[in-house]
This record gives sequence, C-alpha cells and structure tokens, in this order.
Amino acid sequence: MSDIIEMHLNLLFDLDNLIADMEEPSYKKIGFQIEEEASLVLIRKRNELLKKLPPELAEAYEILKRRYRQAIAPVESEFCLGCFQKLPTQLSARTKQIVTCPNCGRILYWRRK
Amino acid sequence: MNLASLLSKDRINLSLKPGKKDEVIKDLVYTIKKGDDAELIVSTLLKREELGSTGIGKGIAIPHCRSLAVEKLEIAVGRTTKPINFNSIDKKPVSLIFLIIAPPQDPGNQYLITLGKIVQIAKEITKKNLIQKAETPDDFITLINEIEKNLAKRK
Repeated sequence: MSDIIEMHLNLLFDLDNLIADMEEPSYKKIGFQIEEEASLVLIRKRNELLKKLPPELAEAYEILKRRYRQAIAPVESEFCLGCFQKLPTQLSARTKQIVTCPNCGRILYWRRK
Repeated sequence: MNLASLLSKDRINLSLKPGKKDEVIKDLVYTIKKGDDAELIVSTLLKREELGSTGIGKGIAIPHCRSLAVEKLEIAVGRTTKPINFNSIDKKPVSLIFLIIAPPQDPGNQYLITLGKIVQIAKEITKKNLIQKAETPDDFITLINEIEKNLAKRK
C-alpha cells in the first residue's frame, strides 16, 4: 500500500470515529460549539477520501465498517486490537499490500515507534 | 480518574511560541508524536476545527480527536506567550490550550469523560482568572490537582 493511500485510509478512519463521537449524547452534552451542517460536511469529506482509495480497498473498508463499526484495528504486541487474537509472526507492516487480520478480517495498523 | 495524573511535565509548555492556530496545534502535537503519525493527528484535529472551533471562550481552547496514531489517551498543554486567534466561541484570542488525543479503542469511554472534565476545569481556570498563574509545569500540575480537589468537594 503506498504511503499516500495509507494516509487517506487512516484519515478516513479517524474521520469516521469523529462522526461517531459527534453523534454520542455524552459528547453533545460537553457543549462544544458545532456548526449546524457539521455532520454533512464530515460525511462529504469522508466520502471524498473514500473515492481516493483503490475501489477494492474502499469496498472492503465499507464492508468492515458495517460489520464492526471500526474497519481498522491497531496491532499491539502482535495482537489484533479488534478481535484480540495473536497474529501469525510472519505478518508484517513492511509489506506493500494491505494486511488484514486472519481471524476477524479488519485492516491492520502498525503504529510507528 | 484524575486529570493531573494524565499530565506530564514534558508535555506542558508554558512559553509556547504564538502563531496561526494550525501551527500552534502542530507544535503541541509534536510533543506527543513525530512524523507521519503526528501529521495524521494534525489533519484530524484540523478537520475537527473546521466543524466548529474548540475555543470554548475566555482564552482557552481544547482541540481533541481520536487517532490510530496513539496507543493511549495523550494530553499536551500549551500556553502561548501572546494570545492567538482561535476563532473561539466568544471571538476572543486564546492563550491556554489543552490538546487531547485518544486511541480509537477506548474501554470505558475514558476519552469523553476526560474531555468533559477538562472543560469543567477550564471553566474554573477562567472563572478564577488562573490562566497565567502557573510559572512552571510542576506548578501547572499542582494547580490542576487543586482545582480537581475543589470540584470533587462541591459534588
């Protein structure tokens, strides 16, 4: 996966979490000023990002999002933080391909150290 | 959960260089992460700011987001040497900034609880005119601790 596609994908994921948080009653209760059209603006921006991804990746992302709410899972100590299963040792962040969890199918994200 | 315990001295900058809103946010993010991770956080924070400023008024702003780039809740605090424009709710410039970044997976929703707490503490800081009180990061943590204790007593 190229760096630019990875950046779009990660930003898309962060925006989807932002949309989810803004709909949370406990977030609304905090009382930040939010523009009236905020949700629509965010949805438009996330759809623009989605179009920048290769179609098969965009489709996979949307399917995973519908299934799990969060399509991407960080990796920590060789565990997928989506399903908490240990990942096979041969899985690596250093591949050009998108890497998914063999157990749950979520797209995996290795944080930089 | 105690906010003071989430603060660390090396992430409190009480002489932050003033600049444009996005530059100041970036400077603060870089106290938490570097490189691509930092850029991802900055992009998400700025998208959040486009929806409505997190400048809550009376000189304080609380930019916040979740990001894949962090493993746990991270907080950075900056006080600019001169107030900066943050498009705040009251249109007044900002000098104290609490920046909060949470991971996407967040057991117990610690992120929103902490965010609510920071807003509460920020209101106390403005009410008692304490923005400029702390001289060192240690002072700042002590100040937050005192405010938290006073708020807890009132409950």
